[in-house]
Amino acid sequence: MAKSKDIIYGLYNDEEHLIEAVRAARADHLEIMDVYTPFPVHGLDPVLGLSESRLHIAGFVYGMLGTLTAFLGMTWIFTKDWPIIFGGKPYWSVPAFIPITFELTVLFASIGMVVTFYIINGLGPGVVNPTIDLRITDDKFCIAFDKSEVDTSKVESFLRGSGASEIHSKTI
Amino acid sequence: MTYEFSGKSKMWLLIGMVVGAVCLGLSWFSGDDGLHTRFWSNFLHNSVFFTGIALMAGFFMCCSITAWAGWYVVFKRVWESISMFLIIGIPLMLLIGVTVALHMNHLYHWADPTMIDPTHENYDTIIAGKSGFLNTKWYIGGTVVFGLIWIFFLSRIRSISLAEGQTGGDGFEKHYGIRKYAALFLPFAGFGSAAMIWQWIMSIDAHWYSTMFAWYTGASWFVSMIAITILILQYLKGKGYYDEVSTEHFHDLGKFLFAFSIFWTYLWFSQYMLIWYANVGEETIYFKERVTKYPVLFYANLVINFVAPFFILMRNDTKRKMGSLGFVAGLVLFGHWLDFFLMIKPGVLHTAHLAGGDHGGGHGHDHGHGHDVAHGAHESVFELGFTIPGLLEIGTFIGFLCLFFFFVFTVLSRVPLISKNDPYIEESLHHHT
Amino acid sequence: MSGHVSPIREPLVQGHKSYHDITEDLCAPTERKPSAAWVIGIIISLSLLGFGLFCIAWTIWHGIGTWNLNRTIGWGWDITNFVWWIGIGHAGTLISAILLLFRQKWRTGVNRAAEAMTIFAVICAALFPGIHVGRAWVVFYFFPYPNTRGPLWPNFNSPLLWDLFAISTYFTVSLLFWYTGLVPDFATVRDRAKGFRRKIYNFLSFGWTGSAKHWQRWEALCLVLAGIATPLVLSVHTIVSFDFATSVIPGWHTTIFPPYFVAGAIFSGFAMVLTLMIITRKLFNLENYITIGHIESMNKVILVTGTIVGVAYLTELFIAWYSGYVYEQFAFFNRAVGPYWWSYFGMMFCNVISPQVFWKRSWRRNIALTFFVSIVINIGMWFERFVIIATTLAREYLPSSWSYYSPTWVEIGIFIGTIGLFFTLYLVFARVAPVVAIAEVKSILKTAGDQYTGPDAIHSHHGHGDHHDHSHAMGLAANTDHHDHSDGGHLDLSSSTASSAIASSAVAEETVSIETESEAADGPRIRSTVGPDDLKKIEGIGPKISELLNAGGINTFAELADTSVERLKTILTEAGSRYQSHDPGSWPEQASLARDGKWEELKDLQDRLDGGKFV
Repeated sequence: MAKSKDIIYGLYNDEEHLIEAVRAARADHLEIMDVYTPFPVHGLDPVLGLSESRLHIAGFVYGMLGTLTAFLGMTWIFTKDWPIIFGGKPYWSVPAFIPITFELTVLFASIGMVVTFYIINGLGPGVVNPTIDLRITDDKFCIAFDKSEVDTSKVESFLRGSGASEIHSKTI
Repeated sequence: MTYEFSGKSKMWLLIGMVVGAVCLGLSWFSGDDGLHTRFWSNFLHNSVFFTGIALMAGFFMCCSITAWAGWYVVFKRVWESISMFLIIGIPLMLLIGVTVALHMNHLYHWADPTMIDPTHENYDTIIAGKSGFLNTKWYIGGTVVFGLIWIFFLSRIRSISLAEGQTGGDGFEKHYGIRKYAALFLPFAGFGSAAMIWQWIMSIDAHWYSTMFAWYTGASWFVSMIAITILILQYLKGKGYYDEVSTEHFHDLGKFLFAFSIFWTYLWFSQYMLIWYANVGEETIYFKERVTKYPVLFYANLVINFVAPFFILMRNDTKRKMGSLGFVAGLVLFGHWLDFFLMIKPGVLHTAHLAGGDHGGGHGHDHGHGHDVAHGAHESVFELGFTIPGLLEIGTFIGFLCLFFFFVFTVLSRVPLISKNDPYIEESLHHHT
Repeated sequence: MSGHVSPIREPLVQGHKSYHDITEDLCAPTERKPSAAWVIGIIISLSLLGFGLFCIAWTIWHGIGTWNLNRTIGWGWDITNFVWWIGIGHAGTLISAILLLFRQKWRTGVNRAAEAMTIFAVICAALFPGIHVGRAWVVFYFFPYPNTRGPLWPNFNSPLLWDLFAISTYFTVSLLFWYTGLVPDFATVRDRAKGFRRKIYNFLSFGWTGSAKHWQRWEALCLVLAGIATPLVLSVHTIVSFDFATSVIPGWHTTIFPPYFVAGAIFSGFAMVLTLMIITRKLFNLENYITIGHIESMNKVILVTGTIVGVAYLTELFIAWYSGYVYEQFAFFNRAVGPYWWSYFGMMFCNVISPQVFWKRSWRRNIALTFFVSIVINIGMWFERFVIIATTLAREYLPSSWSYYSPTWVEIGIFIGTIGLFFTLYLVFARVAPVVAIAEVKSILKTAGDQYTGPDAIHSHHGHGDHHDHSHAMGLAANTDHHDHSDGGHLDLSSSTASSAIASSAVAEETVSIETESEAADGPRIRSTVGPDDLKKIEGIGPKISELLNAGGINTFAELADTSVERLKTILTEAGSRYQSHDPGSWPEQASLARDGKWEELKDLQDRLDGGKFV
C-alpha cells in the first residue's frame, strides 16, 4: 500500500451543490485531490476538467485484433493447414467466416476493454482501497483535498462557504 | 418561425425537375426495344424509392410517438411533411399499375397473360401458381387500399398535430389522440409495406422469392429516410432556420444512420449468406445474375452502404460535424438508390428480353440492343444505363429528388416549423445525448 | 441538471424517494433474513434442480438412448429447450443495451434482474447441446486449439460451430457487462456491512471508491459494451436460426429466420422478465421502483414483438404458397393440420392472439392479467420452437421415414431441472446482489422521480425547491443515523487522526444552516430551476464558447450581462489560443437585451455587428 495521506474533505447533500463547489474550487485554484459520488454525475467531468475517456479507442484496437485473429486464423486453417470442402464451395469461403469473425471481434473488444478498465482504475478482485467516508456510496457527494498540496485553512473556509454539510479530516 | 420557400429555391428545384423530366423523356427513346424498358424501369425505380421514404418517415414518427420518445419533436414537422409525399408517391405507383394493366410496358413478367394460359406455349407453371396474387387487380387494389389507409392515418396525425401546434390545451388530449392513430398505423404500415414490396419489387423477379425481402427493402428505405432527413435539416439550418435543432439532434440522427446502416448490412448478409449456403439453384440465380453481370453495383452497394458509414460514423465527432455527417448522408442516400437499381433493373431487363423475343416473333431472335447486356450480348459490365446507372438515370434521380424536395418544402412552409405545444417539446429543446 | 421533462411522463421512481431511501430500499433484500416465501421458493427450485441432475446423470450413465429421439427426429425436446432458453436470455441484453442506446429510462428499474436472467438462461441453454453430443466429457473438442489429432480443426463452416462461438461470446460479454454494472452497487452494500460480510462484499466490489474519473470510465465502458452488445444480441439468435436456415429442409430454409428468431427471442425474453419482475417486486417490496409504468412499457414491447412474430408466421405461410414449391407448401400444411397441429395452434394462439389484449391501456396496466399472459407467451414460444424442430423433422422427403416423437420422462426431467436451476440461481442472486441497479436509479431520480415529474410533482418551487427541503430533512435524519453507524467501523480510522476531526455534529448543522441561507438568497437553485439560457443566441458565441462560459459559471443572459468584458477575455484566453481571436466586447450588451426580452432590439444590434464585433 502506498504511503498514507492526510486529507481534508467536504460532504455535500446534492450533486448540484457539488458541481457548484467544484467550479468554485477550480476558480480559486484549489488543487482537488478527487471527487467521489454515489453515482455518475452528469456535467461533472467538464467542470472538473477531466479529459474524455479514451477507453473506446482501446476497445477498437482490441476488436480489430479479434477480427484479424479470427479471419486470418480461419483463412490459414482452411486454405493451408487443413482444407475442407463443404457443400461444393471454395476453401476460402468468406461468407462462412463472417459469423465467427464477428463474434471474436466482440469478444476481444469486450474482454480487452473490461480488463483495461480495471487495471487503469487500480480495481480488481481483492483490492482494498481506503474508504474516505462510508456514505459516499450512499447519498453523499465528496470533494477531497490532499493536505500536503493545499492550504488547509483556506480549504476549510472554502468548504464551509461552498455549502458543504460536513467537513472532516482524515489520514488514509 | 415559419419556413419561407423562396422563389429562388423554387426556381432551382423546378430546374432540377425539368432536367429530370428531360432525362426521363430521353430514356423513352434511348436503347429502345419497342417496350421503352429503360424509361419504365427508371420511372418505377424512382417512384418506389421516394414513396418508400415517405412511408418510412411516417412509420418512424409513429414508432417514436408510441415509444414516448421526446428528442425528435423539435423537427417533427419535417417528418410530417415527408410522410405527406405519399400523396404524390401513391398515384405514381398507381400509374405504373395502370400501365402494367394496359400492357404499356413489360416491367413484370407475370403481367403477360400468355404466361398463365395453359394452352399457350409460354405457359409457366410457377407464374400460373402465383397468379392469384400476382395480377393487376391485386397490384392496383393493394396500392390504392394500402395507400389510402396510410395517407388517411398520416394526414390525420398531421392535422391533429397542426391543431395542437395552434391551440394546445392543458390536458394534452390532442397528443393522446395522435398516440391512438400512431399505434393503429403501425400494423397497417408493417403488413401493408410487406405486401406492397412483394408486389412492387419482388415480383419483378417473378420466379424468385425470399421471405426476408420485405425487411431488407424496408431497411433500405429507412436508411434513405434518415439520410434525407439529415440533409433537409442541414439545409434548413444553413438557411438560418431551426436554431433549436442542435448538434445533439444531429448526433442522434447520425446514430440512427449508423445503426440502421449496420442493420441493413445484417439483413443483406443474412439473406445472401443463407441463399449462398443452401445453394438451391432457383434461389441463387438472383445473386448469380447480379454478381456476374452487375459486379460494379454489387460490390459498390456494400462499400457505400456499409463500409463507408460504418467507418466514418463510428467516431462520435463525425456524427456531430455537419460536413462529415452531411457527406455520409448524401453518399448513403445515393447508395440506397443504387441498391434499388440493383433490385429492379436486372429483373426488368430479363423480363424485357423475354418479352422482346416474343414480340419479335419467336425465341432466339437477334436483338442487338443494349438491354441485352443482361443476357451476355455485351460482355462489358460497365454498360451505362443498364448494368450501372447512366447519365439519364442520374438525371432522373435528380428530377425526382427535386420533386420530392419541392413538395416537402411546400408542405413545410405552410405552418410554423416548431410545434410549441407538443408535450415533449421542452425535452427536445434541451436534448443532450 | 435535470430540468426538462415532459409533463406527460409518468414518474419511474415513486414514493418521494431520497438518495438514501433508494440505498435503504434496494439493499434491504440482501441484508435481512430471508422471508418464508424465499425459503419455500429455493426449496422447490433445488428439488427440481436435483431431479434434473438425476436425469442428466441417468442420460450420461445409460446413454442418449434414454431419450425418445429416433433416426428421423434427431432433435426433439433438447434443442427445443435450448432455443427456448437462449431466446429467453435475449431480453437482458436488449433492455440493458438497446434501451440504453435509445435512452428509454424505464430500463433502469429492470435491467439488473434482466441481465442476471440472461446469464442464468444461457447457462440453462448451454447445458442441452453439452449433453446432447453424447460424450459430454470430450466436448472441448469443439474448441480450436493445437492438438495431437492431426491437428484436426473443428469445421468453421458449420453453423453449429458458429453457434458455439456466439453463445460463449454472448455469455462472456453479458457476464462482464452485468458484473461491471454490479461493482458500484456491491460497494454500496459493502459500506453498509460489517465484519465478514464486509470482507466478502469488499472482494466483490473490487475496491470501488466512487472516484469521478472511475465513474467517467465506467460510463464510457458501459456505453461501448452496450454498443457492441447490441449487434451481438442480434447475432446470437441469428446464428441459432442459421442452424436451421442454412439447411435445405423445407420449413427451415427460409431467409426470414434471422430477424424472425430475434424478434421471437425478444418477445419470449420480455415475457420471462415480466414473470420474474412481477414476482420480485411483490417479494421484495419494490413497487416504487418497478412501477406499473414499467410493466406497461414492457407490455408494449410484448405487443410489438408479438405482432412482428405474427407477421413472420404469416409471411412464411404466404410465401410457402407463393413459392410454388410443393415441399415448402407441404411443410406448412403439415404444421397446421399434421400430427402436431395442436402445437401449431398453441403457438398461434399464445404468441399472436394473446398479446393483442395489450392494445387496451387498462389491460396493459393490469398486473394479474400481465402475469397470466406472460406465462401463456412463455408456453407459446416453447411451442414455436417445437413446431419448427420436431414437426418439421417428423415429415421428411421420404414418406417411409415419417415418424412421430414424444419425450421420455428423462427428457422432461432435464427440462424441469433447468427450470429449477434457473430459479435457484435467480433466488440466490436476489439475496446476494441488489436486484435493482442502485446507482442507475439514483442517477435518474431527478429526471424521473415523482417529486420532480409527473402529476404528483410539487411545482411550488418548480420541483427542485421541494426536493431540496425534503432531502435536508432526510439528510439530517440520515446523519444521526450514520453517526451511530460510524461508531463501529468508521471510528477506528478517524481516531488515528482524531485531533484533526473538525466535524462535530454541531459544526455540521451549522454549515447546513449557512447553506440553506445562501440557497434562499441566491441563484444556483433558482437558476437551475429556470434552466440555463441558450447563450448561442448571442452573436459571436458558438457551442464551444457557450460551454466555456458555462464552465466559468455563466449560464444565463443575466449573468452574462453582469460579467465584465475583461473577465470574458480572461475566460477565452485561459481556454487556449484558438479562442483569442474572439472579441467579447459586445456580448454583455447583447445579453442585457436578451435578458430583458428585447429581441427586436437585439436583432437590430446583431445586424450592425460583424461576427459579434463592433464595426
